[in-house]
Amino acid sequence: MAEKTWVRMVTAQTPTNIAVIKYWGKRDETLILPVNDSISVTLDPAHLCTITTVAVSPSFDQDRMWLNGKEISLSGGRYQNCLREIRARACEVEDKEKGIKIAKNDWEKLHVHVASYNNFPTAAGLASSAAGFACLVFALAKLMKAKEDNSELSAIARQGSGSACRSLFGGFVKWIMGKAEDGSDSLAVQLVDEKHWDELVIIIAVVSSRQKETSSTTGMRDSVETSLLLQHRAKEVVPKRIKQMEEAIKNRDFGSFAQLTCADSNQFHAVCLDTCPPIFYMNDTSHRIISCVEKWNCSEGTPQVAYTFDAGPNAVLIAHNRKAATQLIQKLLFCFPPSSDADLNSYVIGDKSILKDAGIEDIEDVEALPPPPEIKDAQRCKGDVSYFICTKPGRGPDLLSDESLALLHPETGLPK
Amino acid sequence: MEEKTWVRMVTAQTPTNIAVIKYWGKRDETLILPVNDSISVTLDPAHLCTTTTVAVSPSFDQDRMWLNGKEISLSGGRYQNCLREIRARACDVQDEEKGIKIAKKDWEKMHVHVASYNNFPTAAGLASSAAGFACLVFALAKLMNAKEDNSELSAIARQGSGSACRSLFGGFVKWNMGKAEDGSDSLAVQLVDEKHWDELVIIIAVVSSRQKETSSTTGMRDSVETSLLLEHRAKEVVPKRTKQMEEAIKNRDFGSFAQLACADSNQFHAVCLDTCPPIFYMNDTSHRQD
Repeated sequence: MAEKTWVRMVTAQTPTNIAVIKYWGKRDETLILPVNDSISVTLDPAHLCTITTVAVSPSFDQDRMWLNGKEISLSGGRYQNCLREIRARACEVEDKEKGIKIAKNDWEKLHVHVASYNNFPTAAGLASSAAGFACLVFALAKLMKAKEDNSELSAIARQGSGSACRSLFGGFVKWIMGKAEDGSDSLAVQLVDEKHWDELVIIIAVVSSRQKETSSTTGMRDSVETSLLLQHRAKEVVPKRIKQMEEAIKNRDFGSFAQLTCADSNQFHAVCLDTCPPIFYMNDTSHRIISCVEKWNCSEGTPQVAYTFDAGPNAVLIAHNRKAATQLIQKLLFCFPPSSDADLNSYVIGDKSILKDAGIEDIEDVEALPPPPEIKDAQRCKGDVSYFICTKPGRGPDLLSDESLALLHPETGLPK
Repeated sequence: MEEKTWVRMVTAQTPTNIAVIKYWGKRDETLILPVNDSISVTLDPAHLCTTTTVAVSPSFDQDRMWLNGKEISLSGGRYQNCLREIRARACDVQDEEKGIKIAKKDWEKMHVHVASYNNFPTAAGLASSAAGFACLVFALAKLMNAKEDNSELSAIARQGSGSACRSLFGGFVKWNMGKAEDGSDSLAVQLVDEKHWDELVIIIAVVSSRQKETSSTTGMRDSVETSLLLEHRAKEVVPKRTKQMEEAIKNRDFGSFAQLACADSNQFHAVCLDTCPPIFYMNDTSHRQD
């Protein structure tokens, strides 16, 4: 009689995050330990997320992974770190209904299949590895019934990709740099949840870029090795800013939040410029967006919008509230209208209701927008922005119980 | 019998200069004293220069100036500083041929006319105020027979425009930041002359720009007030780089020279980016790597 095989499967969804106090520079390349703390805001997974299905079965003869439909190698150090660390924490699993019983010491002999999918383009520079590794670690932990809490899991996700550790929580999250050599205290904690400051609206401008960007890993290593300003930033500037940012978030002090966010984004890019060879992540469009925001904030007397840029030209704009976000999208659509053949429905995605609030239903409404009064001789730069995403602070990782959302077939364990 | 009037005139030509270790930030706005030393290379005036004619005559009833053909006001602090400082150092002048005799104390009663012309566009951002103020000071010093040497004159040009002090010499020049409160020791000295390393060739790409740029004066003040990296640069980085750059120039060590010049340019722009609001002087064309 043929032994009936089984497949145990779990599907998880994880958000991505954007740092408002930046991580740039490692003190340990292997364990991915940073030179300073960082703070991020988690984005709503309804708009930007990674979905990962992990499956285990005695019929699998090797670990395999598919990313966005394409099989990839799991042999790299980062994947191996995550797999090893979770396997070491695997516990007994019993599913009487399916007749599955896995003892603690069975796990090391079993192989896993992983299928992962980002609902946003990898090329858009929207931190897909953060969401990806966080999801992998979270899903594997659920599959293997590890008992660790999300902070402990974040220390493992960190070894896949530094910023992944911050995607283990919703709301505002802090990655504590830690002191221990083994990185056991370098992990993420939640500062406040996503409801604490839920009037914030986040608009991401995905900026057209011809340039292949320097990878974060290479870039920050070059910065550590060659920037004479980086150590001063890490030792003197960031510790103070972290404290001030925690206060600003706790007190919902948007003025301070915006000033700190913009200053830290600019300083991160300043360190990139101070690197040898110099790294330019922002381009003329990025600068134009900053200029728009700075002029508006100045004319209002108190900041309406904060901006921050990661290792790429995309702008993440955080508006104080819905009203500010509505005005912002009007100004942005004036300055960066879609190219003539673009469809408005795909030009602003995510929470599309922002367009309705702004009184914009079709291309004619975009063309009729008035120039922002605070900008002299405002130019309309068609095609400089590929599209906009409207979102908000969001929740942390979750299991998806709906089997139809699983990316692997429940019987074969292969991609659907 | 009508008194015959006279005009005494002097024409000078001054080069511009480009800093290879940058000046960015003042510790004193009025005296124009910098937060760090800087080093520059003087460019050949045959290609880029300011030509200035200064004239004095009892028939002039006020100080007047024309820049590139357009009359401009001399009432601003920077022009007033230069005029006052040179006038204070004016000496006796005697031109027997023209029948001109000016006593030291006559100078304060007489007015000057100044005409200045840059052979390169002001809008091109090629440091026209450096060449301009250096030329004004140098020409006035010759007109008024001041005895000061070029380093002492550079301390006066400095009060017109900081980087002007470095245009009082050819070759490679250092602007010593100085320590004195009155700025008397904040002046330029020549490191080496233009023959020392004459195989260097300089190509300037004048990049098309739609943007109106932030003025250096405003920009560096904002940087001093808001950049948390500027002080570290001024206190820790530039002093070492200045020493290394002097060595590199002395030894014609192009490898070190290039590494230092590029690194310092990038760090200056990094400080501009670290300013609130951020200043972007370079654009995509400046950056293009592919």
